[in-house]
Amino acid sequence: MSLDYVKFTNGFEKFMPKEYRDMVEHGPFGKKISVSQMGSFKEILEEHPMCAGCAMTLFIRLAMIAVPNPEDTIMVGTAGCGRLAISQAAIPFVYGNYGDQNGVASGLSRGLRLRFGDKPKDVVVMAGDGGTADIGFQQVLHSWFRKERFTTIMLDNEVYGNTGGQESGMTSRGAVLKMAPLGKKFEKMDMLQMAKVAGCAYVATVVPNNPRRVESVIKKAVLIAREVGSAYIQAYTSCNIEYAIPTDKVMEDAKNVENDRYQFTEYVSEEAKQYLAERYGYKEFLPKPAAPAGAIPNKA
Amino acid sequence: MYLVADISVEICAAKSCKLCTQYCPEANTIQYSEEMGKDKGFKYGSAYVAVDRCKGCAQCVWVCDNMAKNNAIKMIMIDQLPLAAITDNITYGDKSTTAVLVSPSV
Repeated sequence: MSLDYVKFTNGFEKFMPKEYRDMVEHGPFGKKISVSQMGSFKEILEEHPMCAGCAMTLFIRLAMIAVPNPEDTIMVGTAGCGRLAISQAAIPFVYGNYGDQNGVASGLSRGLRLRFGDKPKDVVVMAGDGGTADIGFQQVLHSWFRKERFTTIMLDNEVYGNTGGQESGMTSRGAVLKMAPLGKKFEKMDMLQMAKVAGCAYVATVVPNNPRRVESVIKKAVLIAREVGSAYIQAYTSCNIEYAIPTDKVMEDAKNVENDRYQFTEYVSEEAKQYLAERYGYKEFLPKPAAPAGAIPNKA
Repeated sequence: MYLVADISVEICAAKSCKLCTQYCPEANTIQYSEEMGKDKGFKYGSAYVAVDRCKGCAQCVWVCDNMAKNNAIKMIMIDQLPLAAITDNITYGDKSTTAVLVSPSV
């Protein structure tokens, strides 16, 4: 709900809940904000029970700031640490059963399109690596094959952090965890390649030690998911409890992992490039100007 | 007793890189005030910590020491803070916030 659709009768604004008025008066509702203004406005995310120094929380905080229209966004999540923070925010949050978040989001995104037509309503799925790559794998992949128009964000902490440290499909080979004492015997799942094969219009990896990049990646993904097709973002959000990272070294670890196995990659389909350039003026995706006639080598 | 982050206004207002506001995992915890440094004659404003929200992870300390190389943030015991910003005493302006500093409730 935004002030564009609902106009209050003059003098009745004070009867709106304080949280909502805060979002309109001092927060991001109805205006454009960016990570460079952080610390000077009321954020969508509120106090939450996540562990101290959690990189996943940092990513969620940045993601909430990056969504282009927070007042017209619905988040869908599932069991896992992330839902503890995502639910403490001024964006409606739908909590699916474990693994069915992409199924729920498919129905939601279709329903919103029927109800609101051309007015953009963004659906963003934010779930952990267990919910996306293991237990919800079938629904995730099918929603991509159906080209459902919403964004899927994987909060990849490479472990089942909420239940004591079992290995997940996204855990790296050889990682020793509390509930996987012999080390994982299989490779980390290549979800990026699977997303491309399944026909996602936008696929990116990101690490939260670069807030501006997180912002730009999420903006692009949500805009593409409005009209072109599925978008997938895989974010490394370390679990400092299960991987025993001292809280003040979390960003150092993020930097090391980014250099090791989480380099920034971005895949944008041709259709999505054209859409971003024409509709939202993304200069990097504008077609390159044709070379001048004289520069073409003479084949004769 | 527990540790909270404390930002030195003297160092912060001289650089004002705002990196710590972007790397704190807690929402609205490291805030930015345009006035805080200017009343002491500095060019920029300063970041400050809403201590009732700080969980003491010290991520901002690493960012300030290693990324910004300013060394402006230290972890100190909450009862050692002379004056602290509390969320209830922070008001939001157009481009920055204003905090009324009080003795921290221990």
